[in-house]
Amino acid sequence: MRHLRRATLPVLVAAFLVGSLLLGGCTRHASEEELKQLNDLKAEVASLEKQIAEREGAKANLEKQIAAKNDKLKWCADEQQAVKQRLQNWK
Amino acid sequence: MKLQKIIFSILAASLVLYGANIAFAQEKMTKEEWEKQIQEYTAKRNDLKAKLDKLDADIKALTAQSASKDADFAKCEAELYALVGATRAEVEAYRAKVNALEGKVTELTRLSNQDLWNRKGEVDGAQTDLNGLRMSKISLLTEFWEKLTSIQQKIDGLKATLAAIANTMERWYTVGTWSRDRDCLWNIAKKKDIYDDPFKWPKIWQSNRDKIRDPDIIQPGWKLKIPPVAPLTKEEKAAANRHYRKKAG
Repeated sequence: MRHLRRATLPVLVAAFLVGSLLLGGCTRHASEEELKQLNDLKAEVASLEKQIAEREGAKANLEKQIAAKNDKLKWCADEQQAVKQRLQNWK
Repeated sequence: MKLQKIIFSILAASLVLYGANIAFAQEKMTKEEWEKQIQEYTAKRNDLKAKLDKLDADIKALTAQSASKDADFAKCEAELYALVGATRAEVEAYRAKVNALEGKVTELTRLSNQDLWNRKGEVDGAQTDLNGLRMSKISLLTEFWEKLTSIQQKIDGLKATLAAIANTMERWYTVGTWSRDRDCLWNIAKKKDIYDDPFKWPKIWQSNRDKIRDPDIIQPGWKLKIPPVAPLTKEEKAAANRHYRKKAG
């Protein structure tokens, strides 16, 4: 009985050890290639986000320029009217 | 006892191995996590690509719109300049002249009364320049219309200041030659910047009795005191009458 107890303990411990290693090793992990694919995708997304920020800036700038040009056009039309009126009284 | 030690050692080693295994497993991405992220980033990339394409299209349209506005403005400006019969270059040259005149008039407004009096000819010159600029149709452009009005107001102010100086300030006049300047008391009093009234000649005579004995004789180079503008006094009138009587008799 005493021999049996002596033999059981190491067996249990060894089983625990092997079991724990096996448990960890059973999970499926992404391969290096797959991780590279994911990283490339992330980099592409980051690049697209940067391009969009640039385009949005350019668009806002163009909209601002067009608003200023509209003001200039309105000024020019008003100026034409004013000059025509002054010309009527000009000798 | 020996067996217990062995057991303890194995147990400790197994614990260390177990911990290391867990740590390693946590560092590595699981296949499920990878798939989830791939899906997530692929969807995000597709959205961003669509957004970028739309932005590119918007920018293209706005660029075309901007160019069209430039063309519209150029056409409007050309029509405007045609109304005043000028080219852009002529308008720019005109602007330079207006700015120069404005600078000159502003400088005159900053002078002391004495300095302004000494440079009163420049006020008349500025008025002449302004009149010249107003002869051009370019002056009808609002930019110049308003500026020339402002310059005229400043010149009017300068003229008013000069008139006030003439009314209050005792001035000096250096007699020129008869052949060149036709200077006699009558003609000096007649000058616009003296009294603008020849009948005030006795005022100059009476104020310069130390030099002038006979008012019909003045010498070139004399510096005559010109009293402030005012009607003739009793004494001045009496002196003039005596002189007329003496000449008649």
